[in-house]
Amino acid sequence: MAGEGAPTWEEVARSHGRFLYTVAYRLTGNREDAEDLVQEVLLRVRRGLETYQPGSMEGWLSRIATNAFLDDVRRKKRRPEDLLPEDPDWVLPPSSAADEALAAEMLPDDIQAALARLPDDFRAAVVLCDVVGLSYQEIGESLGVPVGTVRSRIHRGRAMLRKALLPA
Amino acid sequence: MNMSAHPGDLLSAYLDGELTPREVDGVRAHLEVCVECRREVQFIGEARTLVRDLPPVDPPFGLFERMLRPKHRWARAGVGALAAGAVASVAVMSLVAPREPHVSTHVAQLVSAHTASASTSGDPISEITPAAVPVSFNR
Repeated sequence: MAGEGAPTWEEVARSHGRFLYTVAYRLTGNREDAEDLVQEVLLRVRRGLETYQPGSMEGWLSRIATNAFLDDVRRKKRRPEDLLPEDPDWVLPPSSAADEALAAEMLPDDIQAALARLPDDFRAAVVLCDVVGLSYQEIGESLGVPVGTVRSRIHRGRAMLRKALLPA
Repeated sequence: MNMSAHPGDLLSAYLDGELTPREVDGVRAHLEVCVECRREVQFIGEARTLVRDLPPVDPPFGLFERMLRPKHRWARAGVGALAAGAVASVAVMSLVAPREPHVSTHVAQLVSAHTASASTSGDPISEITPAAVPVSFNR
């Protein structure tokens, strides 16, 4: 039974479909998996609308999407080679005017590709922070980890992205 | 915060406004004296901007319409319609079909005829095809 004021899943799909698909695409990195993830989110929404608390609909959807994504990743363990050590040896390259110009011309597909190469937990934290705009506290609650872990994942994820996109 | 220790993970939280005032003071004090961390803040900020500026992604045309299509309801309606049609057809046929006279079947005759026709003797396929092909896995 849906809580009062809770949207139907049809309303979710029609009003927030583009947002949901964007988050799914940023998390999964490809259209086929993004569609599967969107479908899973809609199924969870249909089953779990009673848990909806009035507030940020997009934040709520993002949490469902991220949890569904991480559940799927853990179940499949499809890309174990992506799992990096907790303390990756990333070295920050020196900055230059050329780097800044390159950043300005960076294509979304290039950024998406770099995002897709991040460890799944790091990518989830970065997407929730920089695509969705959740606070660290909200991200920690979504992922079931302490805020300190959120800080670490976001920072290291960004550092890896920076290194991948703008090499020294 | 120890002024000599690099803030590390705190730098992203600093950029995102996720630190306590005390932590902010500590990070700022460190950045004043550490060129390496100032550069790191700049790099992290660039990465953050790249992701934040990513455009929304349009879903494939008709994706949600396909997902929202009530397949189950259609399927149930279809099965129900077929069942209703079948019942109606049987009812109509039972009313209009001519009555066949009752036929008594001699079971023994049927069994005898079936047994004869099922024999493989004289069956060219059965005779030329071996029942099993001997194989060996030894090299």
